[in-house]
Formats: sequence, structure tokens, C-alpha cells
Amino acid sequence: MPEHEVGTREGWLAARRELLDAEKEHMRQGDELARRRERLPWVPVEKEYAFETNEGRKTLADLFDGRSQLLVYHFMFGFGFRVDEQNPGCTGCSFVADHFDAVIPHLNGHDVTLVAESIAPLEELHPYKQRMGWGFPWVSSLGSDFKYDFGAAFTEEQQTNGAEYNFKHVDQPPWPQREGLSAFAIQDGVVHHTYSTYDRGTEQLIGTYRYLDVAPLGRNEDGPASWWHRHDEYEEVAR
Amino acid sequence: MTEHRIGTQEEWQKERDALLEQEKELTRRNDELTRKRLELPWVPVENDYSFETADGTKSLAELFDGRSQLLIYHFMFGDPYVAGCTVCSSIADTLDPQVPHLKARDVTLMCTSRAPLDRLLAYRDRMGWSFNWASTVGSDFHRDLGFVNTEEELKPFLEGDIPPAVEQMAERSGTDVAGYVAEGPGLSAYALEDGTVYRTYVSTARGLEPAMAYYGLLDRTPRGRHEEGEQSHWLRRHDEYGAA
Repeated sequence: MPEHEVGTREGWLAARRELLDAEKEHMRQGDELARRRERLPWVPVEKEYAFETNEGRKTLADLFDGRSQLLVYHFMFGFGFRVDEQNPGCTGCSFVADHFDAVIPHLNGHDVTLVAESIAPLEELHPYKQRMGWGFPWVSSLGSDFKYDFGAAFTEEQQTNGAEYNFKHVDQPPWPQREGLSAFAIQDGVVHHTYSTYDRGTEQLIGTYRYLDVAPLGRNEDGPASWWHRHDEYEEVAR
Repeated sequence: MTEHRIGTQEEWQKERDALLEQEKELTRRNDELTRKRLELPWVPVENDYSFETADGTKSLAELFDGRSQLLIYHFMFGDPYVAGCTVCSSIADTLDPQVPHLKARDVTLMCTSRAPLDRLLAYRDRMGWSFNWASTVGSDFHRDLGFVNTEEELKPFLEGDIPPAVEQMAERSGTDVAGYVAEGPGLSAYALEDGTVYRTYVSTARGLEPAMAYYGLLDRTPRGRHEEGEQSHWLRRHDEYGAA
């Protein structure tokens, strides 16, 4: 017999129904938060940002690629934690990015463009993207303040004297970059910043957690990131 | 298009800070629900189900493929369907890249459907997927979980006002409404211990939304899901967008 409680179909059903009520309440709270996000004011982006892309140099407005909404994932690449010379893309960001290609046709079909940006030259992003087998647009923000201004990278000065991450002051951020997602709308040629989320806010992008959350053993982890690897590294780890 | 309220950075920040507190509360609430799911009793699966797979006929225990946990997405693809359900297809789009990560947590993730295996595999080829997909032909697996509706059970629904989205989805799967809604979507979870399979969790309806990864992202875009009151559902198979 397993150590876990074994029950009858009837016992399970009663417990499941109670849980369902709690799940529905949680879902409705999520709906309410989505409505609140939509009601946030839009803030015009006054500064000019330039990105290097496969199709040449682009502005933030160009990144919309003809759609009215843009999501930018702030991908940690080249420096900071969870990277080394052989593996320059952050493990956690790579896990997040594994989920992008499947949703892009659906997002594009609903007037949303999704891109990733990193502070690294395109020629360093390309080999890693190829190794991971990804197709999503990944642009270089090297030389621009973009990732710093949207709260996902920190200057040396900020690392010494303090910065904001996830809308909270951090005295001496021990990291030069962190993960995040920012949303933008374009209207009459003007780009507006509408939303940003960081830290566990980006867990929403990790569909795998949605499955683990309903698996018999749940997330089964000693804190997030304890078991994450790049998708081509697990076999090696298991050996 | 209605004009959206424009604000200053300070106004945005104030409202964003308040929203963040609620987002954190929702995340913690989700952690709590996950803990509650773990507390559900496990129920031994007494029936002997058999499945047709690319590697021959298999039992439920064999579907675990050497791991201790199994998640099955019940993909709506019944015998009268010419193509798999559009919404289920959008869920299935996301499975392959997650498989290595789930395996690392000792979880096997796959799909089952009621149509014959050769049709499932032909459709899988069209969509470019590689996850394991088994046919339940001849077994009550889906019915026992409540994911098959009989004509009798469907009568009140079929005699009422059919939502246009359901008609469209049926048409896109090459069947009529009755054929389409005979199938229901679902997710079920199992644990294997000492050779016994236990059912641990089952969900359906909006409980499947977490598997529709694009919703998590749309919920963070300027215009949200933007689908209420639409006569035609926007979702298509990934190879159908842009087609007239």
C-alpha cells in the first residue's frame, strides 16, 4: 500500500467537489485581476529604443510587427547567474522560452506579438537559439537602456547603491539582470507601456507548472529552480 | 476602438503596486490549492482498460512508461471527427516542449482519444506533434471519467440554443454538433505504486484553461482575452491562421 491516503470513489468525489469550489473561486479571482490589468492606465513611452533583429535595426514600434499589442520577455543572457560560456542562456529563462513557440501562432492570430530581448549581440543569441531549437523572434537590446528602464537589468551603480525589482526597493541587488515580462500597446503610432511583471509573476509563462500542480506529487521541489535544466541537459544529469 | 485611459508613470505605478499585492495573493492561493490537491485520497483503478498505441496494445499501468506519475489529456477526437477539436489542438500544441521537463519530475504526459489510432497518428503528423497519443477504442476509459455524452444525455442541450462557437467548432472538426459534443475534454492524473494504478485528480471545463497557455499571456496584454460577446471564436489550428 502507498503511504498516501487511499480512499473510495465516494470519498474522493466529496473531497474533489470541495476542492472544485475553491478552484472556481480562484479562477474567478484570476478573471477579476485580468480585468484590473486591462484597466491600468497606459503610459506613453517617450524614449527611443533601438534593437538589432534578423531584419535589421528596429524601434520599439517596429517590434509590434503590424499588430496592436506587444509582449516582450526580458531574457537573461550572457552574464549574471545560471549562465556560463558553454551555456550563455539562463536556465530559468530557457525553461520559460521552451513554452513560446507553441503559443505564438495563437497570440499572433489574436493581434499580439511576442518577442524575447537580451543584452547580447545577435550573433551570440543565434547559436544558442539554434541549439535549443527555438523559432520565436529574439532581438538584441545591446547598447540600449531598454532592459534597465523596464526593471530587468541593473547597472553597477545600482548594484552598489540599490534599485527596484518587482516594484520593491532592493538595497544591493546581487544580480545584474532578472527575468520579467513587459506589455505594450500601439495606438496612432504612439507606443504605450501597459504592464510589467517579474519574479513569480513570470511563472504564468511556465505551462509545465500548471501540469505539475495537478500531478499526484505536485511540484515536488525544494524551492523553484532546484531541478530546472535546459531541455537538452536532463539526460546528462540523470546519468 | 475605444480610447484607453492614458496616465503618468506615477499613476500607473500606484495602481500597479495595488494590483501586485492581489497578484501575490492569487499566486499564494494557487500554492495552497496545489497542497490541497496533494491531500486528495488516491482511488485504485479497478477496471482493466486497454489502449492502442504506436507500440501496440497497452494497459493503463504500461502508459506510465517507467515513471511513477501519469497525466492524460483527453483530446476530443471521436469516430465521426475528420480532424481533432480545434481547442484541444491548441492545448496539444504546447505539450512537446514540456515533456522533457515533466519527465525530469517523474511525470509522463500524453493524450488519449476515442477515434481509431491510425487517424490520430495521421492528424498528429499534420500538426507536427510527437507526444504519445493512444486510442481508447473498445474501452470505457473516457466514459467512466465522464468525458463521453450519450445521445440521451445530450438531448436537452441539442434541443436548446446551440452557442455559435460550438457549431463552428463542430464544423471545423468535420462533424455535426451532436457528434462533436459526444466527446468532452478533460485532464486526469494517476499514480503507480507497487503495480497498482491510483486515480488522483480529474478536471474539465475551465479547469483546463491553465493548459491553454496563451490565456495566461493574453491576461497580461493591453486588451486581455478580448473575446466576450464575439459571434465567432478567434481560435484556429496553428496551420489555419491566415487562411481565408
